[in-house]
Amino acid sequence: MTIRSFAKLTLVPDMQLFLQQIVEGLASGAIYASLAIALVLIYRATRIVNFAQGEMATLSAYFAWQLNQWGMPFWLSLIIVAAVSFVMGALVFRLIMRPVLGASDNTMVVVCIGLFVGFEAVALWFWGADPHAFPRIFPDYAWTIGGVRLTANNLGILATLCLLTVGLSALFRYTRIGLAMRASAAEREKSPLVGIPVENMLMLGWGLAATVGFIAAALIAPSLFLSPPMMVSVVIYALAAATLGGWDSLAGAIVGGLVVGIAESLCATFIGFIGTDLKVGVPFALMAIVLLARPQGLFGTSAVIRA
Amino acid sequence: MNGASIETMLRAAGCAALAFALLIVPAMFPDFLVYQFSVALTYAIAILGLNLLMGFNGQISVAQGVFFAVGAYTTAIFMTRYGMNYLLTLPIAVLTASILGLLVGIPALRWQGLPLAFITFGLAVLGPPLALKLEPITKGATGISMIKPAVPSWFSGNQDTFLYTLCLLGFALSALFVWRLTRGDTGRSLRAARDSDLIAESLGVHLTKVRLAAFVTCSGMAGFAGGLFAIVNGFVSPESFQMTKSFDFLVGSIVGGITSISGSLIGALLIVFLPDWAADMNIALSGLIYGAVLVVMMLIARDGVMGLLSTLLTALRTRIIATRATATADDRLSGRRIQI
Repeated sequence: MTIRSFAKLTLVPDMQLFLQQIVEGLASGAIYASLAIALVLIYRATRIVNFAQGEMATLSAYFAWQLNQWGMPFWLSLIIVAAVSFVMGALVFRLIMRPVLGASDNTMVVVCIGLFVGFEAVALWFWGADPHAFPRIFPDYAWTIGGVRLTANNLGILATLCLLTVGLSALFRYTRIGLAMRASAAEREKSPLVGIPVENMLMLGWGLAATVGFIAAALIAPSLFLSPPMMVSVVIYALAAATLGGWDSLAGAIVGGLVVGIAESLCATFIGFIGTDLKVGVPFALMAIVLLARPQGLFGTSAVIRA
Repeated sequence: MNGASIETMLRAAGCAALAFALLIVPAMFPDFLVYQFSVALTYAIAILGLNLLMGFNGQISVAQGVFFAVGAYTTAIFMTRYGMNYLLTLPIAVLTASILGLLVGIPALRWQGLPLAFITFGLAVLGPPLALKLEPITKGATGISMIKPAVPSWFSGNQDTFLYTLCLLGFALSALFVWRLTRGDTGRSLRAARDSDLIAESLGVHLTKVRLAAFVTCSGMAGFAGGLFAIVNGFVSPESFQMTKSFDFLVGSIVGGITSISGSLIGALLIVFLPDWAADMNIALSGLIYGAVLVVMMLIARDGVMGLLSTLLTALRTRIIATRATATADDRLSGRRIQI
């Protein structure tokens, strides 16, 4: 037996594990990317980082679960709650964020932390702390290609992200509303001069973000189980993804999300100390490195301030 | 007597009343409440640190609970493993928390504002699982119990009273420290860095240095508070330092008023007693109230309870001055009478 064949014997399973972890990482990365898209939508529109995005999404997921419990078909409940989430996001903007628009970053952070604590408490109030099983959106089916297992769930998650990306890009590029939203985000003071109802556009941005956040929650809820703090760590992943991508780019958020997902999956498998408990340290470390080395992110434009 | 001196007198009277109230706590309440007041005092120290950072320097940290935990664990470990005197562990607690503050502060300060919020938010989430994971040091979920310090022979009073006195001294020291720091040149540089980067820098304030110093001081105070908490509680475990603790401190700071020293006490009392009271109705109630408090205070009263009081005082002062001005004007109008 030569050394080469021995090396081959041990390498093959490792390679398989490696590829398998990349597939898993891509799937969870797609979910982080969805939530990161929600964060970026809101940041682009209103320069607010919505720490409460995940908790709002958890509440939406609870709505869907409850409707389904009451006997509504799962698909119908998803569609209805997507609309409800939109209204919820728009209302949060109208009632809470609009009065503090233009305040300092710190004020916004405090308000968003308040929303974070508040929304989590609402979910705890109505549904308690016990985790609930959330139905899977995609069927339980799997293919094995070259020793790597591809589940319908993972592929479905990736397909959802693609649809989401195409849909949002089309909205922003080809529709009048999308153009008006981009204009309101870029020039809040001047857009009204050309007849754009800026506040409605910002509200629309918040509503869209809440719906996108709900999609992320509905995708991850089957594997995490539905509980009030379900999205707490997911928000960290999304923050890291958006920071990596540079906060003002949808493409950046998506690439960032996938990178964070793969990094998390690989580190948790191949670095013994991290394991499942400290997975959340991976996005944190990535975020710290990006902020240190390239604060504007990989895809972001660095703001030039004229003193 | 003019309005300004009335305000000063009212403030002094308020401080005296507060000091008196704090001193008679052990005589007025049963032991368990005295213990809770001691815990509230340690929280107040952590909140003071946060006020220094947020109110006087315009930065934010949502991870004060993590620095508090680091201080508590430091004290617990040095007391149990090395049998060190409890008072001597406190400077070490301050040191370790400050070092962590420095490590966190340096990368985050390169980009002001939001990045500091991200990093500290991440730290707040990461802290509790890390405390569980570092089992060789923290003993994981079991936690570390230590013997509460014995009452010295010269002290007439039981253990709870003694620990309360200790915390009161700690708080007085911290309040004095922050009061001293926010006045004079240091205070002016801190506030200049908060109000305008450009002006501060052109006046010779080294922005990065001042901000980093404020962040490290804030973390160090949380470490001091955590050390005291460990001594008072006699037990530390990840259970006491969940992510919500960091948000609790934020709530305490905002409620009391971020530029207030006495406000930290109001905030601390709220976060100690509200959850107990609210849990009788629903475990989610305190979270709901905290969330509402953070949002509503930001919308209507950004300066907290003490800020509201201060506004009232100022209004009172203006009214007094206005009355006096009217009186003088009346005199001048009826000038003939004066000339006689």
